[in-house]
Amino acid sequence: MADFLSQYSIQRWLEMCPQGYLENTVYGHSPELREPELVVENETLREESIRTTVQLVVGERCALAASSGLVNAAPDFPSKRFLATQTLDEARHVEIFTRRLFDLGVTEDNLESTIDNYANPHLVKFAEVLLEKVDSGDFIAGVVGQNIVLEGMAFSVFEMLEAVSKQVNPKFAETLSGTIADERRHVGFGENRIGSLIREHPERKADVERMQAEMTYHMLATFSEAFQGNAAATEEARSIAAAEGAGPETAVWHGTDLAAASPEDMEAVLADTVLGEFKTRLGRIGLEYQSPPVPA
Amino acid sequence: MADFDPHAMAEEEFLEEVHSFDFWFQAVDGYLRDRSYGQVEGTPDPLMEDGEREVLITTLCNYCVAETAALDASSGLVRLAPNRHAKIFLATQVVDEARHLEVFLHRMKELGVVDPEGEIERRANPNLLRFKKRLLELVDDRDWDSAVFAQNVILETMEFTAFKAHLEGADPVTGEVLDGVIKDERRHLGFGENDLGRRLVTMPENRSRLAEVRAELDELVLRTFEEVQQSAGVEPSQRLTLGREYIEAVERLGLT
Repeated sequence: MADFLSQYSIQRWLEMCPQGYLENTVYGHSPELREPELVVENETLREESIRTTVQLVVGERCALAASSGLVNAAPDFPSKRFLATQTLDEARHVEIFTRRLFDLGVTEDNLESTIDNYANPHLVKFAEVLLEKVDSGDFIAGVVGQNIVLEGMAFSVFEMLEAVSKQVNPKFAETLSGTIADERRHVGFGENRIGSLIREHPERKADVERMQAEMTYHMLATFSEAFQGNAAATEEARSIAAAEGAGPETAVWHGTDLAAASPEDMEAVLADTVLGEFKTRLGRIGLEYQSPPVPA
Repeated sequence: MADFDPHAMAEEEFLEEVHSFDFWFQAVDGYLRDRSYGQVEGTPDPLMEDGEREVLITTLCNYCVAETAALDASSGLVRLAPNRHAKIFLATQVVDEARHLEVFLHRMKELGVVDPEGEIERRANPNLLRFKKRLLELVDDRDWDSAVFAQNVILETMEFTAFKAHLEGADPVTGEVLDGVIKDERRHLGFGENDLGRRLVTMPENRSRLAEVRAELDELVLRTFEEVQQSAGVEPSQRLTLGREYIEAVERLGLT
């Protein structure tokens, strides 16, 4: 354990992250990049961009509360130290996605009401399930919920958004690229540290697996609402972008061309990818993936 | 950062700028780049006499207790913070405190301590441990004003005073480590002073609660100073200086 945790020192984090892939960026992107004019000026595209970004802010706020809340519950200094770096990573994500909302025209005065208005209620519930474990000082469940389930979901969502944005919105794609690099580190810690704790406390498996099933339920419900519940607006935004020549020509991600896929197909590829990752990562730490009931 | 003028900014703009990841990074990058564990490569580290080494290890153990308290408290405060600017500032403080703990632990290993965590348990001053316990109780009680006061004013002033005094006679390597830590502490103290100062303008009735917290914690700080210096062999006449400097520094902030 000591060897792997030494890879997560503050010294290494400083060299890798702020002095590494974030060097010369402003709010996570090259200083000269801006949101595309069409996105800012077209009301439909702007609203869809705000809706998407609000979900990212909600997820990152949850991650900030969870990672900071777990520091005190961590059983050793190396884990505290890693969670300290994660706390600042998550705060940076909150900051850069909040900044994107401002770039899209949201004002400081209506920031909270915009978030309340667009936040997916299932995603809010997903966060509540995790934060309940954090509040009770349950380190094992908290890290599995945060670094395997939440981060595993965020990782795939960011990758998918990055694939769609690369051609048409380099600013957003760059912002996502830095967060993906962070999330990769976080997921790695969760797998390594919790694997040994689960082996020491096999009696905790059932409770942690129940939490995973509950969080997975709310995650799938979030995806369902984001793609199918909002399909008309998504299609409209896509047609406008295509008519203006501002949509991606192709954006292939896990074998699906996101530029042409239906909302159902996009939901399916995202859900399949995230669930596949969950099964692999949970298996590595000695937990069995639990299927949730299908969302209504 | 070079043309940064905080006085020319409106309050919201100031908070947006100062309590941001970018501002934090610009600040720490200036004194941490090209350093490993707070040290410049090649700084001479002459062998110490046993007695001197023992005193330094005990001092570092107590620094680690204080930094662990700061790490646990600042991380607990993130969720209590009343606005996003304060949350982001506190997240930067969490990493600062973890770094301080890391550089002090690293220094202990350089001094030949094999099990730093066990050594801390053996050498920690009981009054400092009481201080830590009380601070974390304030955080657990979700009392933002009292907890920020205890952490970003009292604890930070205690550390600032002790580190500055230590810096004057420190060996070159420990001095470099302390120099970087002191720069962070100044930022943390600034946050506490600024945040509480603003809040006390609108809630002056909170001042008396802070005075109660201060009375309780001052005693623990002064006892810690006294006992740690006594065990380090500092003359009784000199021991009072540190406590006096601490009291004067807190007094100057005018929060109680």
